[in-house]
Amino acid sequence: MTKSADTHCPYCALQCAMTLTSPAGLAPASKPGPVPVAAGTAVLETFESPLPEAPLNVQGRDFPTNRGGLCRKGWTSATLLNHPGRVTEPLLKGADGIHRPIGWDQALALVTTAVKDTQARYGRDAVGVFGGGGLTNEKAYMLGKFARLALGTSRIDYNGRFCMSSAAAAGMRAFGLDRGLPFPLTDLDTASTILMLGSNVAETMPPFVQHLKGARDAGGLIVVDPRRSATANFTADGGGLHLQPLPGTDLTLLLGLSHVVIHENLVDAGFIAARTTGYDAVVRSVNAFWPERVQSITGVPAELVRETARRLADGARKGGSYILTGRGVEQHVDGTDTATAAINLSLLLGLPGSSRSGYGTLTGQGNGQGGREHGQKADQLPGYRKITDPAARAHVAGVWGVPEETIPGPGLPAVQLLKSLGQPDGVRCLFVHASNIAVASPDANAVIAGLRSLDFLVVCDFFMSETAAEADLILPVLQWAEEEGTLTNLEGRVLRRRRAIQPPAGARSELWIMARLAEALDAPSTYSEDPETVFEELRLASAGGLADYSGIHYAMLDRGEAAYWPYPAGSTGTPRLFLDTFAHPDGKAVLTAVTPRRRRTPAANPDPAAKTMTLITGRLLEHYQSGAQTRRVSELLATQPEAKVQMHPAAATAMGITEGAFVSVANERGEVLCRAELSTAIRPETVFLPFHFPELESANRLTEAATDPVSGMPEFKFNKVWVRAAARTERQHSVLQTTEAS
Amino acid sequence: MSEQIVIVGFGPVAARLIDELLPAVRDGHVRLTVVGEEAEAAYNRVLVADLGVGRTTADALALSDAAALIADGVDVRLGVKVRRVDRARQQVVLTDGTTVHYERLVFATGSRPVIPNLTGINPDPASPVLPAGVTALRDLRDASVLRAAVDGGKRVVVLGGGVLGLETALAAAEEGATVTVVHNGPHPLGRNIDRGGGAVLAAGLRRCGVRMAGNARSTGVEHNAPDGGFSALLLADGSAIDGDLLVLSCGVRPRTELAEGCGLSTGTGILVDHRLRAHHEPHIFAIGDCAEVRCPDPGCNECRTAKGPSGLVGPGWRQAEWLAEYLTLLATGTQDEADALAELPQEQAGVIVLKARGMNMAVAGDNAADPWDEEALTAGAVHGRPRLQIAQWADPEHGRYVKMTTRGGVLEGLVAVGMPRTAAELVGLFERGAELPADRSLLLRLDGPDQLASSGPADPAGTVCRCAGVSGAKIQGAVEGGCSTVADVSKATRAGTGCGGCHEDIKGMIEKHFQAAPAA
Repeated sequence: MTKSADTHCPYCALQCAMTLTSPAGLAPASKPGPVPVAAGTAVLETFESPLPEAPLNVQGRDFPTNRGGLCRKGWTSATLLNHPGRVTEPLLKGADGIHRPIGWDQALALVTTAVKDTQARYGRDAVGVFGGGGLTNEKAYMLGKFARLALGTSRIDYNGRFCMSSAAAAGMRAFGLDRGLPFPLTDLDTASTILMLGSNVAETMPPFVQHLKGARDAGGLIVVDPRRSATANFTADGGGLHLQPLPGTDLTLLLGLSHVVIHENLVDAGFIAARTTGYDAVVRSVNAFWPERVQSITGVPAELVRETARRLADGARKGGSYILTGRGVEQHVDGTDTATAAINLSLLLGLPGSSRSGYGTLTGQGNGQGGREHGQKADQLPGYRKITDPAARAHVAGVWGVPEETIPGPGLPAVQLLKSLGQPDGVRCLFVHASNIAVASPDANAVIAGLRSLDFLVVCDFFMSETAAEADLILPVLQWAEEEGTLTNLEGRVLRRRRAIQPPAGARSELWIMARLAEALDAPSTYSEDPETVFEELRLASAGGLADYSGIHYAMLDRGEAAYWPYPAGSTGTPRLFLDTFAHPDGKAVLTAVTPRRRRTPAANPDPAAKTMTLITGRLLEHYQSGAQTRRVSELLATQPEAKVQMHPAAATAMGITEGAFVSVANERGEVLCRAELSTAIRPETVFLPFHFPELESANRLTEAATDPVSGMPEFKFNKVWVRAAARTERQHSVLQTTEAS
Repeated sequence: MSEQIVIVGFGPVAARLIDELLPAVRDGHVRLTVVGEEAEAAYNRVLVADLGVGRTTADALALSDAAALIADGVDVRLGVKVRRVDRARQQVVLTDGTTVHYERLVFATGSRPVIPNLTGINPDPASPVLPAGVTALRDLRDASVLRAAVDGGKRVVVLGGGVLGLETALAAAEEGATVTVVHNGPHPLGRNIDRGGGAVLAAGLRRCGVRMAGNARSTGVEHNAPDGGFSALLLADGSAIDGDLLVLSCGVRPRTELAEGCGLSTGTGILVDHRLRAHHEPHIFAIGDCAEVRCPDPGCNECRTAKGPSGLVGPGWRQAEWLAEYLTLLATGTQDEADALAELPQEQAGVIVLKARGMNMAVAGDNAADPWDEEALTAGAVHGRPRLQIAQWADPEHGRYVKMTTRGGVLEGLVAVGMPRTAAELVGLFERGAELPADRSLLLRLDGPDQLASSGPADPAGTVCRCAGVSGAKIQGAVEGGCSTVADVSKATRAGTGCGGCHEDIKGMIEKHFQAAPAA
């Protein structure tokens, strides 16, 4: 009685297609986890090995994006379903700091009381919600509705603010619409030139690399990264070019590329005249960035700047040229301007709105696209509508069957929301969904302090993540193979997630939790726990919005139809956007002049033994996000068991640091103590840390919570740190202190 | 509160200042007047030579849009000069007879070309009238003169071996003109570069088709062209270099006469303190080419070693950004609040990067000392200060030369010819004052063809498929177990199921195995 389900991978936005087969049929996946669990234990649970066999078999499935391929994360994803560390009952933290199981009735009653008490004392906005880009469309939609109607709070935002917000803001500004890739991924296959900035797909979404083959064969893959990343290595042997700018200088490099395009007469003048506005101001703004000046600022040789611009122009005339950006250039205080500069470059060359060229941003999280469209954002209502737009409010209020004034106004973007935790007039009771903010937020030490200052913290998770460990109450939820729903991949294509196995008896869907709580809070409108019913409502709520899903049905997705939004009822969807018109009222794309700003001077290095260097962060192939899941997969953990700081041997030698030696990486916000990995693939003045690890290996204890003025994106990728050799004993000492403090 | 600011001059540095002041103008904190003597708003002078050889267009050079500024409320006066500054009344008097009051006055008058003393050229430095066929290549009109010569495939003589002269010569030669550079000394760039670098540079220029006339002292020009224009440059040794156009590239001199006329202190440029204020005059500032940062305090350490204006636009732009912030604070708050703004850090010695397509060169700092020159190397090494160290690489055959002059591992001078990545890296290290790797040859290898091929440290586990984490041994086992296609191996081991980058490797292992097996 083998049961099989065609679904997609639980991790990144590539959403590789996979088939799950269950030899045991629909048996519950998990036995109850080990409880009680000590709160604040950031050390991963250790279990007797070997862990139980995964209850499902995973097979890659042929699909245009992954063509049957999966990476290690996907292959091993099913081992988490019956992981012994799984939380399978609601857990309440006792006065002794120990989490103990309670029943659902008691758990829901506790939450209801906490919400009511908090709001009675401090007002409705004292309750906040933090969502995630891993939630299905149905859950993301319902979370926004639940926050605004059942909780009546404006204080909802999500971890996509740390992810896609800069590119989204730049896309809205330029095109009037934000869909990560405005074209199917397979369009890249025939391109002659692909410029990738700040994206390391060879590690982050390996099956994506198949789509770069055409450009590599044409010698036209151009990768911009301060590290010679695995992706940059694909430019070797005639595959293309690797530009290795100093961290924090991407914007200048892009302005230099536009400068060359303009001054070497490579502009698509017909396109600029017919389909854009704002050209003259951009010409003036890039004038000051001639290649030799760009070389002095970025360290990229002037000739490579020219070469890159020429190849992009040349590619546009041949098989096509694409410009793709990732978090490396977007996660900065000038991330929106940097993404705008990339879009400007693409517009000067006439790439967007063509069927064989374009600009795109590579969405990161599994439902990073859908998750940013349906109301998890502080300033947004379903269908990518603005919460401040009266017409949008009226439409959504109509679907929800409530008076328009019931819907609160805009709330606070993520960094400000987290800064407000426990503050006067701030959030005092917080719901966290699909997010591990204690590891993934900038200035993570400050965030943890904020979590500890709350009156009540509810975390929905299936593991004792570092954030769950801080919670007063943990509500166990479902994993991907246990639920139905939809996600929207990096192309804007809506996909079905299907159930292959029964969840553990004590776990519940967030939809069920929200429905029960809404009932207890006497909330207006309806809260279905059935995903398809919720999707039907989402369709109506999104109708007429930018991200219009109204023509999409489960049945059609189940037939395998490719549904790209906008998909208004009666249409056949939109695989390629902007072919005839951009989404601004006049149909034109907007070029916005941008220029680098002076940066704040970082704090002075107080430690004469330490060297001031630049910290950049990123992913490892084996891990995903905060590592809450992948650090629990023994095969992945065995390969990458700990954070290692990558540094150049020349820099390391000067500090007496050898391969595998302990290193202290610190600044005014915190300290990381971990081992060194020496590599000539990184620039000598720069160090790299993966951000998947907690505690003393948590890269985000060093990142700054300063934000982009437009998008609210924090500064993740350009932080000054003080680096020195450390003794192994320092680490033991610190671990001891942390444990004692908790 | 609203302050009236007047900017004299509308070049690239003034344009940056205006852009940065615009928010305060829009908010009504600042009323802004800018006076430019050219008919055009600011354009990028750095690219005038490119325009002169037809590589860019005048439209693309624009840095400001007068109409847009006027729409923002800026009072833009073009084609008019300031006749004098009346400091007592805080007003400027313009050549069109109007006056403008100021609370703050900013000189951004820039510089003018040095006109050498040659017979046949009017030497009046304030208003040179150059004869036909002679240009100093400073503005848009000069560019069109060069353009005509280049388009006509004419002979261009460039007088001066500075970086601007070399850039013009290279660009004109590449675009089809016959070009001769006339300079004094044995190699171009004079004291900015050392002997080895200069020699490799000169050889490179010749390879690009530029004729080099070194050790030449010019004395006059001849006007025997049919239209009475330039026909030859006369040298002191009695020889002559024939040509159709003479481009004077003999450096620039700050324009200070207006400041002098109203009694401000000047040296090479208008003297300003670390807040860019004219000495003893809190209402007047100067930035860019016309300004010389040298404060009135004779004990100031920084100013003891300060050099005059660099003639480069980068420092001017940084001054403009800083001054805009300072002036905005003055307009919106008190003097004390403004003075709380950290002073602009002292500029590094200028970096010269040759702007050219066929050649690559960067120089900066002091490059005079040679590796075995004990006296020069130890000269400044007192009070525990480390001595100079020189690392050098010369490969004249291939047009490559690098010299790194360091003190305590930090660059004090650099020369890089024909090595673009090395040049880019060294310039960055120089500007950040960062320490060089002890193994200096690391910097030389950046331009090696082997750079991209190596992919970091070798993986000890011998992983063939990174995506699925499969070792070569495991794949070999599968092949030996009978897998004869990549698909078979993928099915058995998951290798090759991610990015597909290892398919060729797997194929190779399969072929090797089955070829080695005896034919059945």
